[in-house]
Amino acid sequence: MFTRDLIEDLLSKSVEEHLHKKIEEIEKRNKEINAFITLGTEEAEKSSKEIQKKINNGTQGKLSGLVVSIKDNIAVYNTRMTCGSKVLENYIAPYDATVTNLIKKEDGIIIGKCNMDEFACGSDGTSSYFGPTKNPRNIDYVPGGSSSGSAASVAADFSDLSIGSDTGGSIRCPASFCGVYGFKPSYGLVSRYGLSDMAMSLEGPGPFAKDTYGIALLLDVISGKDPRDTVTVQSNNSYLKTVENFKDGDIKNMKIAYAKEFFEGVDENIKNMILDKIGMLESQGARIEEVSLPNIKYSIPIYYLVVFSEFSSAMSKFDGFKYGHYAGGQDIVEAVSNTRETSMGTEVKRRVLLGTFITMEEFKGRWYTKALKARSAIKEDFKRIFNSYDLLIGPTMPTLPWKIGERISDPLAMYSSDILTVSANLAGICASSQPVGEVKGLPVGLQLHADSLSESKLLKGMRAVEIACGGM
Amino acid sequence: MQIHEDKYKDLNLKIGLEIHVQLKTNQKIFCECSSDYINSPPNNNICPICTSQPGSKPMGINETALENLLKIGLFLGCKAYEKPFYVQRKHYFYPDLPSNYQRTSQPILGNGVFMGVGIWEIHIEEDPGRYELREGKVDFNRSGVPLAEIVTAPDIKSPEYAREFLRDLLLSLEYLGVIRGESGSIRADVNISIMGGNRIEIKNVNSVKGIYKALKYEIVRQKAVLQRGGTITMETRHFDEASMITKTLRKKETVADYRYIPDPDLVPVYISPEMLNEIESVLPESPHAKKKRFMEEYSLGEEIVDSLISDLYLSDLFEESAKNSNPLEAGKWCATELKRRLNEKNLSVSTSKINPKHISDMVGFIERGELSVKNAKWIIEDAVDSGEEIPVLMDKKNFYQISSEDTLVEIIEKVIADNPKAVLDFKSGNQNALHFLFGKVVNETEGRAEPSKTIKLLKDKLCAVA
Repeated sequence: MFTRDLIEDLLSKSVEEHLHKKIEEIEKRNKEINAFITLGTEEAEKSSKEIQKKINNGTQGKLSGLVVSIKDNIAVYNTRMTCGSKVLENYIAPYDATVTNLIKKEDGIIIGKCNMDEFACGSDGTSSYFGPTKNPRNIDYVPGGSSSGSAASVAADFSDLSIGSDTGGSIRCPASFCGVYGFKPSYGLVSRYGLSDMAMSLEGPGPFAKDTYGIALLLDVISGKDPRDTVTVQSNNSYLKTVENFKDGDIKNMKIAYAKEFFEGVDENIKNMILDKIGMLESQGARIEEVSLPNIKYSIPIYYLVVFSEFSSAMSKFDGFKYGHYAGGQDIVEAVSNTRETSMGTEVKRRVLLGTFITMEEFKGRWYTKALKARSAIKEDFKRIFNSYDLLIGPTMPTLPWKIGERISDPLAMYSSDILTVSANLAGICASSQPVGEVKGLPVGLQLHADSLSESKLLKGMRAVEIACGGM
Repeated sequence: MQIHEDKYKDLNLKIGLEIHVQLKTNQKIFCECSSDYINSPPNNNICPICTSQPGSKPMGINETALENLLKIGLFLGCKAYEKPFYVQRKHYFYPDLPSNYQRTSQPILGNGVFMGVGIWEIHIEEDPGRYELREGKVDFNRSGVPLAEIVTAPDIKSPEYAREFLRDLLLSLEYLGVIRGESGSIRADVNISIMGGNRIEIKNVNSVKGIYKALKYEIVRQKAVLQRGGTITMETRHFDEASMITKTLRKKETVADYRYIPDPDLVPVYISPEMLNEIESVLPESPHAKKKRFMEEYSLGEEIVDSLISDLYLSDLFEESAKNSNPLEAGKWCATELKRRLNEKNLSVSTSKINPKHISDMVGFIERGELSVKNAKWIIEDAVDSGEEIPVLMDKKNFYQISSEDTLVEIIEKVIADNPKAVLDFKSGNQNALHFLFGKVVNETEGRAEPSKTIKLLKDKLCAVA
């Protein structure tokens, strides 16, 4: 296991040296890839020295000097947090997000803040005010979004681990496009405190890594109940053990479903590769059956109705009075409107306007309230599946990464690329993406779903796929 | 029951109130900041949550705030709703509102009655910061102080009753220990309609006096509009504290759309029957129950009891004093003279120096014939003002009444001897002479002669002289 061996290396060799290798890599290639908005090398060097001392005393935390990058919509104390927008170009976070705090406590070295689609509004990593992130596997292609810089920083070896956020696929999509492991925890397992809002009822932070071990390790660190986020629940914090204790034979007890709806409109090459992997799992003893999720077809409209509504509410705090970009005006209304007009990107504005419209008293019953009802129907679909199955398997993305700039002018095409990922968020369940091969030199991601708070099952499934694909 | 009601009867005046009071807590509603926004320098008690920094989330509703709100509701005879309640976001742009939405809950309790006025519903919300328009500065110390909003039915029939209702309500809430004591801790939106006109809402009036004045002004204004043949259309008005008049804020055609949505950051809150029982068990007796008990236990008249229970501190003081004196007398004195003096001095039982022993001692002196009713009125004023004990005041004021017959006879004989003309007048049937001689006795005793005994003895002596 790659990450486990790496930790063993760190314990016997030098944390500072390891960090320097990362910094060298960043200096070499980040200009091109643009994975970071803000780098914190000085601070990182300082903490690497501290952690080295702890390792020498045998008192180091779980992350023991692994280098972690953090999406720029998650607060790191005294560090700029832009959310990929001009709105917060000069905003310095006055506090640590809960996940940041936990990573620091367990001796992760925070190397920098990752590039992202503006306020997480995008699926390909190109809508950042600080320029597009590029796919380290092929810089002509998009890295996926919105956690573009997080996935890219792990894929490019700028960091060992990363924290992104997933509202409708924002971790799984770039994980798939960049060929790394990405994990969207069940809603409430990881605290959202310090994660800037996009759609609060759908999202949460989650880990990126190079293997299942890394995912489980970081999940152990960041999961659990937090008084600063009322939707959080207890975590058993033994995910790493689950992965370590996994034996090849364990796959024989797994009941895995695949839904035809998750293969409709999917690129043939991707489809075949995923079906091939499903066949491999079956041949190793997993029980594979086809199921149907009849309400999945509504997930894109429901998802975007919920996102627009919650996003328009969340974005109202950015008036320029307290922090961030301020444009001024004759009166309050004009000042707010000038500020927003001159600092928000097209997609952000589109979502704020649509959300405002949808939540107006007049239209609420027609759109928002209906969307919430339909959302419960999707939850029911999944509940039914997970009553009989451990996992639901399928592709992460319906297409391969596209070329940079290809879809930027067509929002509907962009929205439809989320079709396979959004339903996990609507249902609040956990889901993952992991690399299972390449098509035309571009990575393909396999997606697994498990029931809400069944992270252990999901990690076992990931490990089984990892082994099936020849992983150590 | 409502005073001054008749005055407005022909108008079919209807007044309903949406009352905001700040709940007493050490911390703010959604974070751990101190809720003391008055004694701290601006923007001292703030954190990422109550200034809505990007990424911050509200913590769960402050438990003390919720408990205090439940106390208010149960005290006002409300029932808690069984379904869990959501906190909603009410969107509007204003610099004192850090998220540009206010978190405000769905109704938590409803269907109560207080002083004959229906209580429609009670819910909890967060106070915004304070915006100084002229300086363009915002102080977020107040942002996140918990508020209870109490919505009444339009059962109030006069501005005078609105004032009395609010005063008594505030006093009761203070007695419950659930609201902040500072002045200006009450704000209300006032709804008023008169016959032939639509409902008018006056937003954000800041004091009981302001509410009264706003209502008075609004009645005059609406009457005048209707008399001139105009119409009163639904609108929202603003009360100008300085000029004591109301002005149009917005017409209802442009009604504000707050785009309420349930706050996705907060889980719905369920109030369990156990929690309600627990709160109910520590709740003081309701005014209604207290009234019934006072009338039965102490045989007090309804008028006296109403007066006593309208101020729960006063009713406590009465009960304490009744342990050591005749409850009928103690009740009468508390309900009338004591209350009058407190009102005169703009004091309450809790802010003045009066204590139960004052009342029981005073009643004792009166019943033993040592203190005249007239002087008792003086002594109660002194007790309120200075807090000195009754025996001390009796000495100081020389209020001990002379009721010993021997002493009185001695004085009467002296007065008769000194005033032969008056004695002659009395004998010739002039009743005024009796009053003159009585006055002389009173003067001789510096007002301390027990009146009924004095009159009787004086008459006896005068007859004897004849």
